[in-house]
Amino acid sequence: MSKTIFNVSSVTNAMRGKSLLEHNGIRAYVGRTIDANGNNGCGYSITVNKEGDRAERLLVSSGIRIRSKQWED
Amino acid sequence: MAYAGKGDLQIYLDNAATTWPKPAVVRSAVQQAMTIYGANPGRSGHSMGLAASEEVFRCRETLSEFFHLENPVNVVFVQNCTMALNIVLKGLMKDGGRMVVSDLEHNAVMRPLHALSPDAPVYDIAVVTPGNIPATVAAFERCITPETRGIVCTHASNVFGVRLPIREIGAMAHRHGLPFIVDAAQSAGVLPIDMQQDNIDFLCIPGHKSLYGPMGIGALLCNSNHMLPSFIEGGTGSQSLELQQPDELPDRLESGTLNTVGICGLRAGVRFVRERGIDEIAGREIRLMRYFYDRVADMRGINLYTPRPDIQHAAPVVSLNMEGRRSEEVARALDQRGIYCRAGLHCAPSAHRHFGTLDTGTVRFAPSVFTTQNEIERVCRALWNEAHSRSSTGVG
Repeated sequence: MSKTIFNVSSVTNAMRGKSLLEHNGIRAYVGRTIDANGNNGCGYSITVNKEGDRAERLLVSSGIRIRSKQWED
Repeated sequence: MAYAGKGDLQIYLDNAATTWPKPAVVRSAVQQAMTIYGANPGRSGHSMGLAASEEVFRCRETLSEFFHLENPVNVVFVQNCTMALNIVLKGLMKDGGRMVVSDLEHNAVMRPLHALSPDAPVYDIAVVTPGNIPATVAAFERCITPETRGIVCTHASNVFGVRLPIREIGAMAHRHGLPFIVDAAQSAGVLPIDMQQDNIDFLCIPGHKSLYGPMGIGALLCNSNHMLPSFIEGGTGSQSLELQQPDELPDRLESGTLNTVGICGLRAGVRFVRERGIDEIAGREIRLMRYFYDRVADMRGINLYTPRPDIQHAAPVVSLNMEGRRSEEVARALDQRGIYCRAGLHCAPSAHRHFGTLDTGTVRFAPSVFTTQNEIERVCRALWNEAHSRSSTGVG
């Protein structure tokens, strides 16, 4: 199963996303990342091992701006 | 709170300036921050840095829950309440306009406004009628002009404890489409604050007073779509390729390394207050100040300026003067008896002008959650002795 990595704009948004997902039963991890587009310098990401689609819906509906999304096996 | 020093028992009643002592849980959290959360939050990606970032975020969550702010991202950490007020006032008035203030404001509000236009005041002053909500709200409303950019007021006077009807003032501000800013320096942690129900757009709080955190940490809580401009610019650990400051909160208003130690201590302080119960804390401190008020009100030569404190209309702060003596002189005499309180103008000349004490200042007494009735009784006796010794020599 592939991991889903959501790149977000700040460590605060990453922590908020992690908190939100875990309140909804999705284990999440925060890490530092380079935006895949290379446009915005360094940033932070939220990684989930499963339920990537539901995680994305939760993040977006809470106003967390996802700058880009990646998958990793 | 009393502590042993110089071989004598001493009493600290200067809690309106800074609470002391700090709860054990706060001291422990500060030490833990130094030992466990020592890496830079929001900069590095290693585990230690992320642990610090998570701890900082937990404090944002704790503050947003405590003050009923929906989104913890909108909690901005600053140095103190004064800095929060500067960010909001100068931000809202960057293109000019005027601000409505009360006549009980601290210099943390008045000096930033003065600095915006030293030669021509850019504020209109509403006269507070203590204990009369409709009259106070009407006074604020009368000050609104087409140039008004917002209404700012203290929640409670730092000198006299007079509590302003923020919920009603906020509702009136919103009817006029104006943002409402509250200086909660004297109320955060001792009077309930609900940013939604109290109609607050920007709440400015210190960490080191009734929230029992360390000095050097405060917060600005933003409950508004109004995008305040950055106050300082610099590294945020995000969007580093762009020279422009990030537009999202909290990064827009938080440049440079955060005060993790202060933030951890503040979180522990807020949790301490929450566990004790803010109503319990307020009720107890008001009862102590009522006891104090009743005792000194009977003393010859003591002047009080406000009605007997009650929770509807006051924060637990009492100011007084001793006839024929300057406030600083009384505070010095009490200091020699091991009692610590603050005299003078308390950085709030407006409030002293309101109560006619601009020339003398006042002696201010403020308890904390650790103050006991025994201590208050000792302070009353010391005041009686001071008043008696002076009057018996024919001076007072």
